[in-house]
Amino acid sequence: MATMHRVVQSSVSTSDATTTSYDGLTSCKAADIVISDQFPAGLRVLVVDDDITCLKILEQMLHRCRYHVTTCPQAKVALNLLRERKGCFDVILSDVYMPDMDGYKLLEHVGLEMDLPVIMMSADGSTRAVMKGIRHGACDYLIKPIREEELKNIWQHVVRKKWNENKELEHSGSLDDTDQHKQRHDDAEYASSVNDATETSLKPLKKRSNSKEEDDGEIDNDDPSTSKKPRVVWSVELHQQFVSAVNQLGIDKAVPKRILELMNVPGLTRENVASHLQKFRLYLKRISGVAQQGGIANPLCGPVEANVKIGSLGSFNIQALAASGQIPPQTLAAVHAELLGRSAGNLVVATDQPALLQATPQGPKCIQVDQGVAFVQHSVKSESSSSKHFSQSFAPVEDVASGFRSWPSNNIGTAGPSNSGGLSSQNGNMLIDLLQQQQQLQKPQQRSTVSELRRSINVQPSCHVVPSQSSASFRAGNSPVSVTQNGSYSRTAVIDYSLLSSQSNCPSLNIGQVSDVNLQTTGVLSGYIPPASVSPSVSSCSVNADNCASQQVQTSSMTFKASRHLPGFVHSTSNIPDPYGSTKSGDLLNQEPFNNLGYINKGTCLPAKFAVDEFQSHLSSSSHGKVFSENIGTRVKQEPSMEFGDNAKVGIPMLQQFPPNDLMSVFTE
Amino acid sequence: MSKVKQQKPLCVWNPKPLKRVKPTNKKRLREREKTNPFSFLGQLIPLAKTGLPLWMLGLAADRLRADMNRLLSFLFHQGILDEQFLQLQQLQDETSPNFVSEVVNIYFHESEKLLRNLRSLLMDREFSDYNKMGIHLNQFMGSSSSIGAKRIRNVCLAFRAASDQNNRAGCLSALEVLEHEYCFLKNKLHELFQIQQQRVLAAGVRYPMQH
Repeated sequence: MATMHRVVQSSVSTSDATTTSYDGLTSCKAADIVISDQFPAGLRVLVVDDDITCLKILEQMLHRCRYHVTTCPQAKVALNLLRERKGCFDVILSDVYMPDMDGYKLLEHVGLEMDLPVIMMSADGSTRAVMKGIRHGACDYLIKPIREEELKNIWQHVVRKKWNENKELEHSGSLDDTDQHKQRHDDAEYASSVNDATETSLKPLKKRSNSKEEDDGEIDNDDPSTSKKPRVVWSVELHQQFVSAVNQLGIDKAVPKRILELMNVPGLTRENVASHLQKFRLYLKRISGVAQQGGIANPLCGPVEANVKIGSLGSFNIQALAASGQIPPQTLAAVHAELLGRSAGNLVVATDQPALLQATPQGPKCIQVDQGVAFVQHSVKSESSSSKHFSQSFAPVEDVASGFRSWPSNNIGTAGPSNSGGLSSQNGNMLIDLLQQQQQLQKPQQRSTVSELRRSINVQPSCHVVPSQSSASFRAGNSPVSVTQNGSYSRTAVIDYSLLSSQSNCPSLNIGQVSDVNLQTTGVLSGYIPPASVSPSVSSCSVNADNCASQQVQTSSMTFKASRHLPGFVHSTSNIPDPYGSTKSGDLLNQEPFNNLGYINKGTCLPAKFAVDEFQSHLSSSSHGKVFSENIGTRVKQEPSMEFGDNAKVGIPMLQQFPPNDLMSVFTE
Repeated sequence: MSKVKQQKPLCVWNPKPLKRVKPTNKKRLREREKTNPFSFLGQLIPLAKTGLPLWMLGLAADRLRADMNRLLSFLFHQGILDEQFLQLQQLQDETSPNFVSEVVNIYFHESEKLLRNLRSLLMDREFSDYNKMGIHLNQFMGSSSSIGAKRIRNVCLAFRAASDQNNRAGCLSALEVLEHEYCFLKNKLHELFQIQQQRVLAAGVRYPMQH
């Protein structure tokens, strides 16, 4: 990579990752992490888990990722460790349920005292638990069994945190320097394509953020610049004050200035409150994504009505917020229409992505997306930091141009509405209104859109590395909380869908699928979750959904690196419903939306089939074994047009195709 | 008695388990060849310490490999293990050659504790704290799924569902299934490790043949 040459700083040889137990922390002091050619190798990770089995496995996996690992079975000991050596760790992996101290408490302590990114882990993947993790400030929530690919990605949290910190404190003048730094951060040989993506995205990102700050007359510019202010730690009490202040004012009326006044905390600046408010709004968006999407399909037709709707929200009308947050790409078409009426200057952003616009097979949709990007950026006037954040999310979007048209659409979908939710201006209202409008328009065209999106993903069956890395960058930019959170939010959204009527289920289902798939790059997997949740008759449905979703969360960070893993993941996903009867699963799979996914997405067709197999019998586990070693590509070619119409038939003939010899060949060395 | 002493037995079957033998040097080989029962074959048939010709032990290596493959495919086929176990195997390399067996042994050790805890909790007359049980269960589920013990994990899910509904009877039955599954897995994995051990030994004995 050419970018590698730009790394000026000398690299400490971090390639030899060493494990240190708690007792012998020599590497800790020595490993003064400098951004090196080999980033993210050498990342210093502290793992806290009372389960020794998992501890050992994680240690080995992190070794493989070439990180410096320190393991610790007790939370209290880990906390002392952190206190003793403050500068010695980059990221912390912590279990949730521990005997001596609750994982959330540890999380809070670390957040308050050391402000390191903390990633929670647990076998419990229920929404409640994940939500709790988010609420306590976890950067990510991994569900056991943890795979190596998920661990490979934890460096993004370190970078993101540093990035956000710098963006908050520094201003446009000094931003250039930090961005350069960030570029080098990302120039890791480890994720080359990601780095290309993020690197090239950084430039327009910078331009955009700079230009936007100038255009909008950012409040940041008013304050004295350059001097790095001490980072404000948002303790629980402070946050409570903040929340109560926002509640008082009303979410749409909550302006940082007034919040600051209400909170009346000495030493707190308007800026701090602004950035915190933005994060808070994102968080609300995410949790409110659970709300019924179908229920929001109200016949709102004009900005006025939308205004009224939003106005009546008062404080935290999560439903409406969810609505705005939940309907990504379709509504942006309307946004696009709005945009065209606006000044052409704002479309500068759109022109940054000409390749994206022109090359996309789903032209209109993408254009909508891009315009939507521009629109939202334009409309972000009230919060500077939010705009920066936003730019971040777009940065990776641009670079997924190679094939993931739907990614941007979904990306914008989640990021855009988050900003729109924060806008109390009419822009935001219009966006919401347009979103809703679009959703109504969208309903009849769902299938096609889904298939379109699927097709877009299909472009990438052979480009294994790119999608995965793009996904990393995509997530890196998307929000402070990682995709696993998004996964969980869409998951919970789906579970709620099951409570709705089947009619409203359909549209939301598709859209939910879209978001799921786009986040994951494996369209099939998301198919499991909607079906699982849409069958309300299944008594253990919620457990199904939970478990499916928990697997989804895992796989959300999955890469295509080894396509062999796909069937495995699907395998593990699909097996969860097994205890509850394969018939149900069979029914679930017969859902039409899922069929759509299966039809069009050739790239991931195969894993889906294997998943289907699982639903039918245990036999397919052997087929999985075979698949692991065989060339999956050949199989894809063999059954390109297989339909999911009858899953039972799909499963069995496929199994029979495998010659018995393959059983042995799997395990030959 | 003297007869037995004079004659070297045709075939010495060493009742002890196979120990790792150093590759025999040519001198010793030639010595053994003098009393080689297979010399009628007209070829130089090297013998191992046990007296069995090496090529027979070589077959054992193949047989062992076949056994191992059969066992593994059975375990995957039955859904007892899943892809996570393969990941575990992949984590094993030269730097940590016994990784899988170490981790699995730790898992067994911990799991037995957890299962005992669960049972004692459930059998207790005044049992009411489903939360506490849930924590144990959660840990057991976490480690089982990290190992790749799919069936055990699924049973844990059912267990958890019953626990969520405060269904004590359901929990008890789930626990029994759990214990059964766990024992089964333990036996199978022990068998697997035994085969792998033997393979290592067989490979060691075969070494001179390959040169």
